[in-house]
Amino acid sequence: MSRAYRISMKESDTRCLKAGDEIGTQLEILDILPPEDMATLLREELEKRGFAEQDDGTMARSDGAVTVTVDPCSGEVTVKAQAEETVSQEARREASGFNDVGPNEGSLRERVKEQLKQDLNKKFEQEQSRLQNEATEKLEKHLQKIQPEISEIVNKVTRDALKEKAQQLGTVKEIAEDPETGSLTIKLEV
Amino acid sequence: MEAKNDPRFATAMTHNDADPSRKAVSKFEESLLAVLQFFLDPHHARFPKQPRRDGDGSGTGGGHHFPSKEKELQVIRNGIARPPCLSRASVDLIEDTLAKGCILFLVLEGGWRSDRFLHAGQPQRGRVWEREPLVERTLAFSSHVIEFLLWATAEKVHETNAPWDAPPERLTPADELFFWLAFDACRTDPDLIAVLRRKNAFRANPLCWISFPADIADDNGAASPDFAPVMHGLRSIILACLQQHLLKRWIQSEGKKCNTSDWTKLRQQGRAEFAALQAFLGAAAAAGRMDLARFVLGTNAALFQGDLTPAFWTGGLQGSGPARLADRLDTQRSALAVPRQMAVLEQWQERARSIGYFDDDYAASQMWKQEWEAVDGDTIARRAHAAVQMLEPLRTSAASEPVEPQAQ
Repeated sequence: MSRAYRISMKESDTRCLKAGDEIGTQLEILDILPPEDMATLLREELEKRGFAEQDDGTMARSDGAVTVTVDPCSGEVTVKAQAEETVSQEARREASGFNDVGPNEGSLRERVKEQLKQDLNKKFEQEQSRLQNEATEKLEKHLQKIQPEISEIVNKVTRDALKEKAQQLGTVKEIAEDPETGSLTIKLEV
Repeated sequence: MEAKNDPRFATAMTHNDADPSRKAVSKFEESLLAVLQFFLDPHHARFPKQPRRDGDGSGTGGGHHFPSKEKELQVIRNGIARPPCLSRASVDLIEDTLAKGCILFLVLEGGWRSDRFLHAGQPQRGRVWEREPLVERTLAFSSHVIEFLLWATAEKVHETNAPWDAPPERLTPADELFFWLAFDACRTDPDLIAVLRRKNAFRANPLCWISFPADIADDNGAASPDFAPVMHGLRSIILACLQQHLLKRWIQSEGKKCNTSDWTKLRQQGRAEFAALQAFLGAAAAAGRMDLARFVLGTNAALFQGDLTPAFWTGGLQGSGPARLADRLDTQRSALAVPRQMAVLEQWQERARSIGYFDDDYAASQMWKQEWEAVDGDTIARRAHAAVQMLEPLRTSAASEPVEPQAQ
């Protein structure tokens, strides 16, 4: 006599998911002074703004999950966002069979187990995608926030370099700066 | 490039049935000749007529022409039983077609122009046969060309396992020109291209890399070949003849980029272009042959007649693209591979300005400066730089809009 049975299985897993995004770009520092002097000015300005020197000579600042790294020598800027989360997921499946026809209980269990693994992987992939979007969103927001600051840094370094260059050329008589327009006028006697 | 616009050539290609010089060829040989002519002239612009096969299976040199290039592509795709050897008549015809076809191509594509190129470090004006001595511009083909033609005619190229390839170091400059033409003729057929691009004869061909890098690079972005040999000898003469051809090709390619909707495809294309152009410009600078990079300057000059935004290249991209900002930015940067070369050309111009009258490369530098000024290179470079900068997420207004210092 044929008898039906039902198998109910549950699988759970916990994984540590990591996602990251970063962009690298080049600061356009004008060659007003020799490269090493421009690098020194940039390093000083970055220090004032909370950047700390790293072992490799770069300057870095962490703003939460986002790290901004500047190489004063090359002017290369890297902004990196990272996200990490420990995620637990659970998947359930049920299957029914007959004791005399179709696959036996052992192979049915194997098949359901395989499907559960696939279900779990799919769920973790979705979580990974969500985490990736979060990291990218953080990066995009931070880029908007940091762009004016980077502009200020470049302008400040350019102004300082111009002043230093003027001092090298002659005696500075007058320096006028207009923070509104960003203009800088240096009068010097050669 | 001795061929000139010689009426004898046109006669040879169109002789009528009464011509006693007609040569009989077998069906296979007829197909091989048709494939050869297709490679040399896929649009039948220079070879309007093909050999005609008689009812007994043999053919003669003259007669009807195929309605389209599909017929030759079918021969390459289908294959035809290969005879043990070729007849003397067909070998003569192959040699004749190869020699005249390649010369005619080079002459028509730019060799006829009275132009200025460097020869032994000095600018020389004239048509290619006026600028270069005959001994330096003689095309010599190796047996690899015939072997390729036999293979392409006999095999189903897109699915054959018959091994054919040619070692790049054994190829003559004329071979490279022929393989470049053959690859270009097959570019409309993705199946054929997928096979050919894996062959070293094409994969390491500098002309392929500088003409259609996206087609020759694989998905992983194979490294571009060494362009140094292209800057010397016959290869440099061929490249000089192809300047206008390359210019047209690159302008066309840049104009079509906005039709690309696939992010990955545009990224791969841009990466391949950037790698090829960087390697090419590096080799040109090292050899002091900036004149051979004229098409790069010309392409930018044609593009930047006015200000352009990155949308000119990336406007066709569909959807939001890859999840990572890094990948999206890389795609957009890659798309602007050609404008990004202006930074290199600008450095050349800076260097040329610093060359004095008594320096060795004074004449070459003067020539480059004239070319730069003829297209208003400073303006083109500024516009290209502005377009590239628009993509940068941390661009600084002070640097992108420099203000001229004012004397008081």
